[in-house]
Amino acid sequence: MFDKLISKSAGKSPWLFHINAGSCNGCDIELVAVLTPRYDAERLGFRLAGTPRHADIVVVSGPLTAQIKDRVLRTIEQVPEPRCIVTLGSCPASGNVFKGSYSVVGPLSKYVDVDVDIAGCAAKPETILLGLHKAAQILEEKRAAMSKGGNK
Amino acid sequence: MAFDFPFLKEALTQLFQKSSCEEYPFKPKEAFPRFRGRIVFHPEKCIKCGMCERVCAGGSISNVLVGTTEETELYERTFDLTSCTFCSYCADFCSTDAIELTPDFEHLMGTKHEELLVKGVYERKKRKPAAPKAAKPAAPKAEEKPAEAKEEEAEACAND
Repeated sequence: MFDKLISKSAGKSPWLFHINAGSCNGCDIELVAVLTPRYDAERLGFRLAGTPRHADIVVVSGPLTAQIKDRVLRTIEQVPEPRCIVTLGSCPASGNVFKGSYSVVGPLSKYVDVDVDIAGCAAKPETILLGLHKAAQILEEKRAAMSKGGNK
Repeated sequence: MAFDFPFLKEALTQLFQKSSCEEYPFKPKEAFPRFRGRIVFHPEKCIKCGMCERVCAGGSISNVLVGTTEETELYERTFDLTSCTFCSYCADFCSTDAIELTPDFEHLMGTKHEELLVKGVYERKKRKPAAPKAAKPAAPKAEEKPAEAKEEEAEACAND
């Protein structure tokens, strides 16, 4: 009975979990800047969750290094369905200048299905906001598909 | 008051002030001038010098032969924005200004990889193969040169 209300409310507050997979921190700084009052992602419902088990959208920055690859995949698996994976910046989408390095294990799309790519080096906060908004829309579609097909 | 409300004065003054939020998607925003955003490629100006590929920091520019006609070859140049650093080296080094980095930051996100590729097809005239050089003029020149070199060496020894 309350499922429709819960789904509608959950769609208005997608929580983020940020993973730094070897990033230079440029995109990380812009992401947390998006959550500050100036660009204010919180008015759209985004906030950083402390644990992946509370999150809806996973944001990954940095080229996947060999050391962190297993940990990133394990963390993404801990995020409950429905979930959206967003790559932040050009590094997780292709490796950018670190392509072919001995410690960089390639784009994130080799290991998981990525939903939204945000390009930039570092990504502009307005672009991050648009990307997160798009991810929230995709999340709603996934949630609707889940409730129609899977559970009920 | 029974106890001090912390930040009471600030709360009351901020209640009537304008918010500092930029409200971006609901209010339009322009990037500052000379912002390096989405790449626009003008294929008719490209002369296939290859400087952009050579100089690209992220290795995101590629050139593929897509067709041939009798006199021309068609190439497609792709700029992969998921690998681009937006350093603008390609635009700076392009000798014909075929590459431009526009202040567009809204089209830098996408759900599919194709949305973040900028492509352009241009044609180049086929080069005619060079005519083979005749072998005759080479022989007398070879004979003359050692003779000249010996004369120069003799003069140099005489001066010393």
